[in-house]
Amino acid sequence: MARITLTDLTKVYDPGGEAVVAADDISLEVTDGEFLVLVGPSGCGKSTTLRCIAGLEDITEGSLEFDDQNVTTYSASERDVAMVFQNYALYPHMTVRQNLGFGLKLSTDLPSAEISEKVDAVAEMLGISELLGDKPKALSGGQQQRVALGRAIVREPEVFLMDEPLSNLDAKLRSDMRTELQELQQDLGVTTVYVTHDQTEAMAMGDRIAVMNAGELQQVGPPEEVYRSPKNEFVADFIGSPSINLFDANVNDSTLTGPGGFVYELEDASPVESYDHVRVGIRPEDITVVEESPNRATVTVVEPMGNENFCYMTLGDVEMTARIAPTKRPVADEEVAFTFAEEALYLFDPVTGESLKTKTDDTTPDLTTEVSG
Amino acid sequence: MREQRRKDAVWKFLTYSFILVMTLGMMVPLYWMIVAASLPQEEFIRFPPRLYPGTEFLNNLSVLHEETQFLISIWNSVFIAVVYTILSVLLCSMAGFAFAKYEFRFKEPIFYLILATLILPIQLLVIPLFLMMAQIGWTDTFRAIILPWLANPIGIFLMRQNMKSIPDALLESARMDGATEFQLFYRIALPAMRSSLAALAIILFLFQWDLFLYPLVILEDPGNYTIPVALSGLEESRRINFDQIMVASSLAIIPMAILFLFLQKQFVSGILAGSLKE
Repeated sequence: MARITLTDLTKVYDPGGEAVVAADDISLEVTDGEFLVLVGPSGCGKSTTLRCIAGLEDITEGSLEFDDQNVTTYSASERDVAMVFQNYALYPHMTVRQNLGFGLKLSTDLPSAEISEKVDAVAEMLGISELLGDKPKALSGGQQQRVALGRAIVREPEVFLMDEPLSNLDAKLRSDMRTELQELQQDLGVTTVYVTHDQTEAMAMGDRIAVMNAGELQQVGPPEEVYRSPKNEFVADFIGSPSINLFDANVNDSTLTGPGGFVYELEDASPVESYDHVRVGIRPEDITVVEESPNRATVTVVEPMGNENFCYMTLGDVEMTARIAPTKRPVADEEVAFTFAEEALYLFDPVTGESLKTKTDDTTPDLTTEVSG
Repeated sequence: MREQRRKDAVWKFLTYSFILVMTLGMMVPLYWMIVAASLPQEEFIRFPPRLYPGTEFLNNLSVLHEETQFLISIWNSVFIAVVYTILSVLLCSMAGFAFAKYEFRFKEPIFYLILATLILPIQLLVIPLFLMMAQIGWTDTFRAIILPWLANPIGIFLMRQNMKSIPDALLESARMDGATEFQLFYRIALPAMRSSLAALAIILFLFQWDLFLYPLVILEDPGNYTIPVALSGLEESRRINFDQIMVASSLAIIPMAILFLFLQKQFVSGILAGSLKE
């Protein structure tokens, strides 16, 4: 297993003289055996970064090391990495057995009996033993997914790379495979870099997550840390579902005033001392609907989820979402009063988007141990 | 409702009648060729013509062979067409793979230049090619018939279009599995292109099988003649040996028929491949 170190990794595409920086100065370390998730919106450079690690793209600048070995100029096959592709990329003319054994056949000197043994073992681990004689087109999406995983596992690589491997599966299968994949990674202990645009998947799977935007790395950390203490407004907005509520507010000493008559008195005004206006962020779950409050919003839609209700509201011209108790069900056009705790409040610089204040409320102790472990 | 059904039936009748007439139109010459091949020369030119086969086929064949070494010509044609097809399929698919899956300088101009050679008729190339072959002493050889046509622009174009449908991820995946670039070609791309290769093989085989003017110019020894060249020799100045031409033609279509029967399924799916975006 290997530790992956990216130092100032930059990838520039230059089609016809018009340079596009797909990955900009990315420095990142993935520790041995870690499950790191690269997450971000489409076109943020996460797949490019992964492909640079894989050796499928040349690195324009910077370096890539596996443990202490500089592999920047190595070809894909020399790096001892295995990759699972979004569309699985199974060889259509080969059986499952041939698909699984192809890499071993090409990259090792193992006798075919031994390859066959390894293939059998991996097939059994993934529960696809009875499919070994089938061609990929005879398999369901989930089975193809397993074969693609098996093809990566059987080579016992130093590093697993996964490029949105679950995005072609239906929702139920996706969450099943998500769990399975995590268990598998834990059992095998192989350093894994996983790319997804789905922040829920990122939060659920990663030991740490790395949020990217516009080719730049925004923040790297354990999921809870990224959620609770985002470095900037982009991260706060991208991580969390439903998304955080964000709006502009004016600062007057310790008083925040915003759209729709929003007003909030800060107990601790030190983060906003030198600002006359800021961006305010409140997570949907931190909003409490109360009987009486100076802040009132107009309900547009309520979506019952069973265990909670999503309440969509407008505050002036800003749309807001609140996660409220299932027992509370305001109707459309109703005006509701809401409040939130100052500990749960996020404040961002209106120009740079950098965080001025993030959540400061306590978290449960066992959550903290999980993070550090 | 009933009106509609009657309309449908009429259309169906017309359609099938049309197909039948067209089929007959194509079958009659073929049938006539086989009938004529089995008639003695005198009966062939009699009117009204005889419409059922006679018994002189083998006799005609032996006369034909005595006069022209026609069986050797069949062998020559088969040999040349098979060797040409194998080499050209390999070359065209390699070129198609390169044009479809690699980036290199002047890729587009080179490709369009190759396509542009399609507008040059064979007749225009025959003399310069002959001079070239004469210069290197290749006249009257099979390699002079085979080599100049190996890089077939239609073949390159066909394979490029089809190779484009191979997902990049498939090749990348093989690359990560440790495949060399050539292994990508023959272990991943070629097997995935089986039906297109069959279609290409038929097209190229047919091209070489029907090639007439060029071999006529290049080949001198009758023992080296291909079928079209040998056939043309039957039209002598004093008379035209219809019976022998018919025997020769009947024999000439056999290898083509066998090839097509073997490859027809792939051929049809190959022609359609890539016509729909999936």
